[in-house]
Amino acid sequence: MRRSDNPPCRSTHTSDMALTQVSSNKCAGGFQKVFEHDSTELKCKMKFAVYLPPKAESDKCPVMYWLSGLTCTEQNFITKAGSQQAAAEHGIIIVAPDTSPRGCSIEGEDDSWDFGTGAGFYVDATQEPWKTNYRMYSYVTEELPKLINSNFPTDPDRMSVCGHSMGGHGALICALKNPGKYKAVSAFSPICNPMQCPWGQKAFSGYLGSDKSTWEAYDATVLAASYSGPQLDVLIDQGRDDQFLSASQLLPDNLIAACSEKKIPVVFRLQPGYDHSYFFIYSFMNDHIKHHAKYLSA
Amino acid sequence: MDLYEIRGGRLDVIAEEAPSGEEYQELGRESATMEPFLVAAGRGGRATRDVSTFQRFSINTNESLHFEPCEDGTEIAKTRSKLQEKVAEMENFAGHLEEIFLTVEENFGRQEQHLEQHYNDVLQTLSQRYDDRAAGLEEEKKSKLEALYNQLVACGRTLDASKELIEAAQELYRSEDKRLVLKVVLVFFAKEEVDLTLSTPLEFKTPLADLSDVKTMMDSINIVPAPSAPVINPQMPNSATQTSLRVCWSLFSDDTVEYYELYYRPVLEDTPVKETHCTVKDLLPNAQYELWVTATNTTGISPAGEKALYMTVPSPPVIKQRECTSCPEAALIRWDSGNTNPVDSYTVELSEMGTDGSQSNITESVVAVPTCQCLIQLQRGRRYLISVRAVNIGGPSERSEALTVSTTGTFFHLLEDTAHPCLSISEDGFTMFYGDEELPLSAMAFDDNTFARCVAVLGDLIPVRGRHYWEVEVDDLTEFRIGVAYEDTQRNSYLGANSSSWCMRHILTPCRHKYEFLHDGWSPDLRITVNPVRLGVALDYEKGTLSFFNVDLEQHLHTFHCHFQNYVHPCFALDNPGALTVHNGIEAPEYAFI
Repeated sequence: MRRSDNPPCRSTHTSDMALTQVSSNKCAGGFQKVFEHDSTELKCKMKFAVYLPPKAESDKCPVMYWLSGLTCTEQNFITKAGSQQAAAEHGIIIVAPDTSPRGCSIEGEDDSWDFGTGAGFYVDATQEPWKTNYRMYSYVTEELPKLINSNFPTDPDRMSVCGHSMGGHGALICALKNPGKYKAVSAFSPICNPMQCPWGQKAFSGYLGSDKSTWEAYDATVLAASYSGPQLDVLIDQGRDDQFLSASQLLPDNLIAACSEKKIPVVFRLQPGYDHSYFFIYSFMNDHIKHHAKYLSA
Repeated sequence: MDLYEIRGGRLDVIAEEAPSGEEYQELGRESATMEPFLVAAGRGGRATRDVSTFQRFSINTNESLHFEPCEDGTEIAKTRSKLQEKVAEMENFAGHLEEIFLTVEENFGRQEQHLEQHYNDVLQTLSQRYDDRAAGLEEEKKSKLEALYNQLVACGRTLDASKELIEAAQELYRSEDKRLVLKVVLVFFAKEEVDLTLSTPLEFKTPLADLSDVKTMMDSINIVPAPSAPVINPQMPNSATQTSLRVCWSLFSDDTVEYYELYYRPVLEDTPVKETHCTVKDLLPNAQYELWVTATNTTGISPAGEKALYMTVPSPPVIKQRECTSCPEAALIRWDSGNTNPVDSYTVELSEMGTDGSQSNITESVVAVPTCQCLIQLQRGRRYLISVRAVNIGGPSERSEALTVSTTGTFFHLLEDTAHPCLSISEDGFTMFYGDEELPLSAMAFDDNTFARCVAVLGDLIPVRGRHYWEVEVDDLTEFRIGVAYEDTQRNSYLGANSSSWCMRHILTPCRHKYEFLHDGWSPDLRITVNPVRLGVALDYEKGTLSFFNVDLEQHLHTFHCHFQNYVHPCFALDNPGALTVHNGIEAPEYAFI
């Protein structure tokens, strides 16, 4: 199903840009939809969720990209985060892609929950056997935005990025590696310094190889230390009772130190009692949407 | 005597022409009723007015109208109604004339009666004077005649004696002894001298006729008696200025008055005036004066009239600039009365200023403000000139000096009486310092309103439940608390440590800058990577939020959610020596109230 005033494919687009609607539910005055398409970057069918606020029926709206964490699909966010109400109020389209290519039949793909399927880590893999499909960085920063902009009533100049855990890491590197591309960035319990934590080391060595210098291009703390570009304003929420915080998977202090050094504005909130779950995300979703709205509506 | 005749004649004439006032009035009324067109119709009333009356008027006013043969019925009706109107008019007029006539008759009667009385008095006085004078003359004549008669008798006696003497002398002469004769004669002549002068003057003493009293009486016959006491009017609104009063009074219609004299307290001074009003000058502002009037004519002076209290207009109030506060929707203006004694009310006047500084003519007023402060609703993003007048029964005072209010942002001053003794405030009132040297406790003056523990001060935020925004310039190395607090927040506790204050706190630790957002002693745990040097504080009563921003980065730092039950005031505190500067009247950035 496509909007009549918004042709899904222009003549220049190839058939692989075609979208198939998987589901559509009215939500908070707008529509929560899921689409499937053939990804050129990932060379597989990919699903993504898109929330269209009521405002999108008549106006172009800014887009916030939500990057989910380990093991998630596009479903976790749209069913648990409770973002639609605030998105409807502020007139923001939220796009939530899957977290990795699926069904590519790569050996070892499904062996562990923190590598392979559901754990793309938002990098462009350079190592075999991953490098053909595991190009999540290019997918979320290039292919997906183009697809969205050509199929939905968006304002291509106003986009922002937000994510949780691995997706928080993804959001931070997207913003830090593309100065000016994202108007705002925020994260829930992000993996701030993957080079220094077990999850990151496992993923990076698998996707990028043993040369740690190539890891630096995907490490938020390293990227922050060398960031130069338009002023950023980063909002980070972190549950204090997050088991992965105490397991040193997230390492927010390292990022804060780098940002303090570099004078990159960050407000980091340690929320007492909260863990790593979507219950935590749900609790502070409104603050994050508001944070994005401030820069997307400006 | 002539005089008696005149008197009698006059009396007769008066008696004939002017009976007593009552009778005369009756007579007047009778004569009035005899007038054909004046009273009959009027008394008869409109309902019973008959055709004959109507016709009479027609003839009197316009003969042709009446006799013109009228073919058209409506024309007749029109004419008829026109004439009826005219009749009614005439009747009214006649009634009025009758009244005047009666009044004239009445006044004339009274005047005549009065004259008669006066003439009677004069005549009585004159006849009295005549009687006295006549009796005096009679008396004098009698005494004179008596004296002359006595003299005559004495002369006769002397004559007889002389005759005897002559005889005796002749007898002696005939005797021989001539010597004896001489002797006797000598003795005889030596014996008596006869007084031959008149003992009484021929003239009668005529005393000078003092007729001055009569003259006065005669003069006074031409005028009415001394006037009655004039009636002073109560003070008219707007009849006074700060130093002058316009006083009005009235006289009884019968009185003739040459001039009035107005007296007033406390300054005793009388000034003859001809009119029934007078403006008294050089008075004290907003003061009550007791005034009364006497009327004087040639006859004399009336008794003093009833006393009336008048008030002069108050002095203009003085706007207390440092105690005025505003926001985009309203301004709270406070002022000093400018008068030692109370005034009735105040009027606040405002006019909008154009962008080029010109003043628009449109002036709004808020009247009958009972106290020395007023909250005025204003339009956002304008500039206003606001002034105040004090008002009492005498009228409004001059305008106070004007205050300029700009409604771009929220504007307030610091409540310096709440400041901790260690906190000093700059002359412009917006920068506060906490000096290095510690004051000895004995040198600190505390009162109930002063912060005693936290080196803090409150700001005087306008009590309007809208949106307010202000900014604070801080130093990287200053430990501060900035936020809002209820007016009655505990003065002996730290800001943020209680349930009546909300604030952002900056703490310097050996390793980093720490920021807390304190309320009731609790703060969320958060880290801020860039130290703000200019903080934006956004208060939204409706949403119940208090937000803090790093102004330079437009970065949101924290939002308190609290539905403030009471009005809050901005609060500022320094936890170590340093300075803070409040920036006021700034338009709130868009992001402050998302």
